[in-house]
Amino acid sequence: MTVAGFRLQVIALTREAWATSIAQPVASGVTVLVVIGMILTVMLTSGRTIGAEQKVLASIDTAGTRTLQVRAEADAGLTADVLTRIAHIHGIEWAAAFSAPVDATNTVIPDGARVPARLAYGSHLERLGVPRGSPLPGAVAYASPAALDLLGLPDVAGSITTTTGSSYDVVGQILPPEFLSGFEPAVFVPQPHATGSEAVAALVVITEDPALVGPVSDAVLSVLAVDDPTKVTIQTSEELAQLRLLVQSQLASFSRGLVLVTLATTGVLVAVILFGLVMMRRRDFGRRRALGATRGLIVALLLTQTAVLTLTGVGVGMVASTIALIASGDPLPGPSFGAAISMLTLATTIGAALLPAVFASTREPIRELRVA
Amino acid sequence: MLRAQNLTFGYPHASEPAFADWTAEFTAGTTTALTGPSGRGKSTLLYLLGLMLRPTSGEIFVDGRPASRSDDSTRAHLRAKRFGFVFQDAALDPTRTVIDNVTETALYRGVSRSAAAHRGRALLDRFGVEVPSNRKPGQVSGGQAQRIALCRALLSAPAILLADEPTGNLDPVTTAVVVDALRDHAATGATVIVVTHSPDVAAACDRRIEL
Repeated sequence: MTVAGFRLQVIALTREAWATSIAQPVASGVTVLVVIGMILTVMLTSGRTIGAEQKVLASIDTAGTRTLQVRAEADAGLTADVLTRIAHIHGIEWAAAFSAPVDATNTVIPDGARVPARLAYGSHLERLGVPRGSPLPGAVAYASPAALDLLGLPDVAGSITTTTGSSYDVVGQILPPEFLSGFEPAVFVPQPHATGSEAVAALVVITEDPALVGPVSDAVLSVLAVDDPTKVTIQTSEELAQLRLLVQSQLASFSRGLVLVTLATTGVLVAVILFGLVMMRRRDFGRRRALGATRGLIVALLLTQTAVLTLTGVGVGMVASTIALIASGDPLPGPSFGAAISMLTLATTIGAALLPAVFASTREPIRELRVA
Repeated sequence: MLRAQNLTFGYPHASEPAFADWTAEFTAGTTTALTGPSGRGKSTLLYLLGLMLRPTSGEIFVDGRPASRSDDSTRAHLRAKRFGFVFQDAALDPTRTVIDNVTETALYRGVSRSAAAHRGRALLDRFGVEVPSNRKPGQVSGGQAQRIALCRALLSAPAILLADEPTGNLDPVTTAVVVDALRDHAATGATVIVVTHSPDVAAACDRRIEL
């Protein structure tokens, strides 16, 4: 069979499956209702749990489960080229180094409030809110809203002068990520063209996964190359990462069990409905066989019919459960969960339909069609 | 066109075969009536000739090739593409429309439904089925239903047409329509075999085989 012929046959089969479904409104309606019930059950129980789990995990993540911070005293000997050395460590998503803070004031208000300004090193400082193509690199500063407020620069226009005598134009506002909340009120001066020998006081590393915080921490420590290790401290979020894993595994285990029970129930119900349908329509399948339908086509027809009904039920069930979750103010479990449940439901109903379909395909025309 | 050679068939658990060592040849362009008392295996023979049953022994040749021992899929394809069937009580799908019933075999033959529907409507017109094609079989008379079944059988202009008591419960007018259709189809070069109890139908056929 050519590709075009195969396509034509698939379209014809789908059309026939749809027409057959419409022609059997009771059996089709019950099957769709079972699937809708299954989707509602899963989405309003496991889906709700997953949504809550994702919310809890997001809360934990905002606390910095993937963060490790190395703090070095001024004479520890930690320099900016540590970024080059840790670049070879697997499992690091992002890293940046910061100089020791230097007090800075609004240039036109020398006696104004002082805020800590830090030189920032790293190749992906846009994560701090700094534009990728920063104008005059090394000569401009970016400040958080809290810092701008203290400096008296609400319009983000002006300059600052540090106690060491350096001046920087403030050219932008940044919103420091949660893991840098300890730097607030924050003023950063990006240093994209650093030589590597500049002294740094803090190294911030974000790992790709909470479980990697421990191993990455060990690896980073081994390449710090400081003069005096006793003047270096490291803060990790390993305990938070463990808590995250615990929450994830407990909730996932509960959800998985519930989904499996619901899927199994749906599979049994669909199999029973289809067996009933096939028994009622033995004569129909006998006639189809007599007129030239192969066993394979009968099986394909019933499976396609099941798929059509399941997808209808999944569509209606998903819309209804999403509306219900939104109405009750519960968090949505996310599209990937919905897609996974849809695929599992489809696989379950098709699996359940297989036996009735094979039974239908073995109907003997002479037994079903002969009139006594 | 269609030949049965030394055909023997017995149902499981039956003490005697329905028939034994039966040989016959059905040539193209002729109508043959299979007649005989009830219980002689006329319908069984028709289903055997239509490759829906496998003989206990012997062989059925279609277009000169042995066919009755082919695998199920091959026999199904032969049924779809070379055979047409008219069953005793029309055997229409009560849940589908008239036109869906007429075009049912298009799916099995792998042909476009729109082309099949075009031909199906022409056949319905030819046989005087004057009902809206979206009506269902339960809403038409027995005579109309048998004409619809005839349209379904003739949709593919089959080389072999098998009919099992096609006029069993029909009025004389519809019986004449069906008999004429079978004869007309044979005139196009097809092989037509009819199981019948009706002496009139048997007399209208070119040949009669008494079982």
